[in-house]
Amino acid sequence: MVSLAPACRLSARLTVRQLRRDATVRGFRASAKCLAAHNFTMPALSPTMTEGNIASWNVKEGDSFAAGDVLLEIETDKASMDVEAQDDGIMAKITQGDGSKGIKVGTRIGVIAEPGDDLNSLEVPAEDIPAKSPTKVEAPEPAPSTPSQAPKPFRSPKKQTYPLLPSVQHLLHEHGLDQSAIDKITPTGPNNRLLKGDVLAYLGSVSSTYPTELSARISKLSHLDLSNIKLALPPAPKATKQAEAASEPVVEDLEIAVPVSMKAVIEVQKRIQSTLGVFMPLSTFIARATDVANDSLPRSKSYKPTADELFNQVLGLDGAASTNGYRGSFLPQITALPELTPALNPSLVPSKKADIIDILTGNAKPSKPSFSAKPSAGISTAVNVFSVKAPKGDEKRAEVFLERVKAVLESEPGRLVL
Amino acid sequence: MFRSLVVPRAAARSAFKQNSLPKVVTPSAIARLSKRSYATEAEEKDLVIIGGGVAGYVAAIKAAQEGLKVTCIEKRGTLGGTCLNVGCIPSKALLNNSHLYHQILHDTKNRGIEVGDVKLNLAQLMKSKDTAVTGLTKGVEFLFKKNNVEYIKGEASFASEHEIQVNLNEGGERTVAGKNIIIATGSEATPFPGLEVDEKRIITSTGALALEKIPESMVVVGGGIIGLEMGSVWSRLGTKVTVVEFLGQIGGPGMDTEVSKAAQKVLKKQGIDFKLSTKVLGGDTSGDKIKLDVEAAKGGKKETLDADVVLVAIGRRPYTAGLGLEKIGLDTDERGRLVIDSEYRTKLPHIRVIGDCTFGPMLAHKAEEEAVAAVEYIKKGYGHVNYGAIPSVMYTHPEVAWVGQNEQEVKASGVKYKIGSFPFSANSRAKTNLDTEGFVKIITDAETDRILGVHIIGPGAGEMIAEGTLAIEYGASSEDIGRTSHAHPTLSEAFKEAAMSCYSSAIHF
Repeated sequence: MVSLAPACRLSARLTVRQLRRDATVRGFRASAKCLAAHNFTMPALSPTMTEGNIASWNVKEGDSFAAGDVLLEIETDKASMDVEAQDDGIMAKITQGDGSKGIKVGTRIGVIAEPGDDLNSLEVPAEDIPAKSPTKVEAPEPAPSTPSQAPKPFRSPKKQTYPLLPSVQHLLHEHGLDQSAIDKITPTGPNNRLLKGDVLAYLGSVSSTYPTELSARISKLSHLDLSNIKLALPPAPKATKQAEAASEPVVEDLEIAVPVSMKAVIEVQKRIQSTLGVFMPLSTFIARATDVANDSLPRSKSYKPTADELFNQVLGLDGAASTNGYRGSFLPQITALPELTPALNPSLVPSKKADIIDILTGNAKPSKPSFSAKPSAGISTAVNVFSVKAPKGDEKRAEVFLERVKAVLESEPGRLVL
Repeated sequence: MFRSLVVPRAAARSAFKQNSLPKVVTPSAIARLSKRSYATEAEEKDLVIIGGGVAGYVAAIKAAQEGLKVTCIEKRGTLGGTCLNVGCIPSKALLNNSHLYHQILHDTKNRGIEVGDVKLNLAQLMKSKDTAVTGLTKGVEFLFKKNNVEYIKGEASFASEHEIQVNLNEGGERTVAGKNIIIATGSEATPFPGLEVDEKRIITSTGALALEKIPESMVVVGGGIIGLEMGSVWSRLGTKVTVVEFLGQIGGPGMDTEVSKAAQKVLKKQGIDFKLSTKVLGGDTSGDKIKLDVEAAKGGKKETLDADVVLVAIGRRPYTAGLGLEKIGLDTDERGRLVIDSEYRTKLPHIRVIGDCTFGPMLAHKAEEEAVAAVEYIKKGYGHVNYGAIPSVMYTHPEVAWVGQNEQEVKASGVKYKIGSFPFSANSRAKTNLDTEGFVKIITDAETDRILGVHIIGPGAGEMIAEGTLAIEYGASSEDIGRTSHAHPTLSEAFKEAAMSCYSSAIHF
């Protein structure tokens, strides 16, 4: 039962297709009366269904319905299912009433008109021969001496939407045929392409049925011959589950932040100034720390390797590159803690505040107050929050980067000067 | 915001201290990261493909491009299957280079190019072939990476209807599950009863691509395309080649009889002997030379042929060993082909079969078409392969190529037909190339002029057949080709003139 559900959906779609096809065919018919109605046939609700019973109609003759309305309920040996309307319309006629049994798929069960049609003047179309076997439709032999009268088409002519074949164009010009004649010729080529033979048949120089026969023969060759398999054919399969591509979550930039104490840096800065007499601004330390930390980061998860890299990987030449890691281009945003605007008011920088992590890890030392060195704008002399924005997949890189900045600035700032 | 606060700072610091400055992240950390992504074995893929040959790898790439999550399992160790590793590709490398050698020996002097002291370096010839093969198989592996196809090297067998157990080449086992499964395990050379293949003296096409020295004599059992191509290679390099064929014509039953006869005449001139309508009874490998007993298929006249090497090229058969088909109850027909429906489904509809291990001609390009169609059936519910327009090519010199029906088939179908043909000896480019063997033959329906088949023997036939295939695919008439401009001077003009002689008459003949 459960597995039938997708099958129903599938066949419902098939019905739509059938209806649309009918609609397009109608569009090209010459007679206006035929525009009104078309046959509603027993739908195949599963690939194996050959016949079904009508449990009940939900619409009466003359009722209008909208796409999606349940028209009727059909019972098969397996289940009973609702049949929904695929388009708006009017139920002009019901030919198989409630409780009809064993109706073959493709048999007419009703007639549907377009919305707004006048049912009284509606011409009910003749019942189609079930679409299953369209091969042998008996066509009356056309009068051979009247080529102007179009031979009875086996398939409805289709509009030629692509350039005509050179042979076709030549024949049309040679015989003075115009666009209206082209529309009357039955095409038998692949995808309803108009072939030379079709024009010849229209002109009466070959039998009108011959191109169709030839086409049938050739299209038979275009399929694998699976008819003579010695083993029993497998039972018709259920509809395959369509693999559904998981919808990609929206890529968001993540902000990753790490608090960094500038104490050690400032100490070094002071020592340099006292020994060498050179003042190095904090921004230099940070720029150098950033530079070092950007070196050889782990590869981004969302990184798409270039064709060259992939090829090197295939050839095993990527060893050297991967040990060196991949250079990042992070630029940290620095905010002083607690939030204030040190740029405007550097004197208010709370330099006494201890690094919270130092306290937690037991490394807390009393911080030295007030330095002669002027801190760079936006940088506190004590704890600053370094943050970077990282696209999804890059969080690990960003974390590694920040940890490294922190490590360099807090424990070995002296090396940045060397 | 402060996610990283939870990272133990001391740990981070000590990790840093162990290393010199620029290298902070230890390689082991990277390794740990990558290992983690392999741990999710229970993941179900959208599509699992068994076999990384032409059918399998094309399906894998196509499916990945369609947005499916794909795994491809291949046990050979390299991708590309028979075609790339031991088939089409290496044979073409040998055919091209042996042709060059043969031409220098026998042909260039007439053209005014005198080459002194020509030597053949067989090891180098094989190496250049291997370079071509490696380049192409690595290229496929590259495409897998580019398209994010997971590639597992190992031998697959069905554990259940959705699960496949893989015996990994590097040791160990792994299970992969797939919502859809494609079997594309290909084919192997059919062995000849009574001749045990050792790939040294009794060889298949695989061994014929890797002989270590040029044998003095070779008997080819089977005068089909593979036999004639490999026979040509060794004949050009100096081996005395005899082809024994059970049927009355070479090239297999698909080749047009007129073309087949022409090919036989040319190949005979090149030094290959033919024994048609001849049956191989058995062989004796005990002596220095292999003794092969043959008998005329009808007359019953017996004969013994001596050969250093016997090439068995009587055809190929589906290869499905070790797949565990019986475990999930998949059917094969009496020739070992997996039974499918018109959408390549087995009786388990999520399992499809494409390529050599199922029905249809065993051709790489047919497998490729099926791969795309099968993926489209999975993804879009509709796929298309026109089996009536699949070309065949034999890469001897001259080449033979055809598409559609041959004359004997058209005759048997009872259709009234016309033939237009044009010899390359009347084609200007063939003349300037001093390469005028062969002709183009086009068969059309007598009433409608629709092209039913195209058959070419001649230089560049394999390239030229594309035009015939396109014509058949589009339902063209010979007049459509005759009214299309073909560049001058080219070999393709012969194609146009053959078409013209179908519906009116050729200008240059």
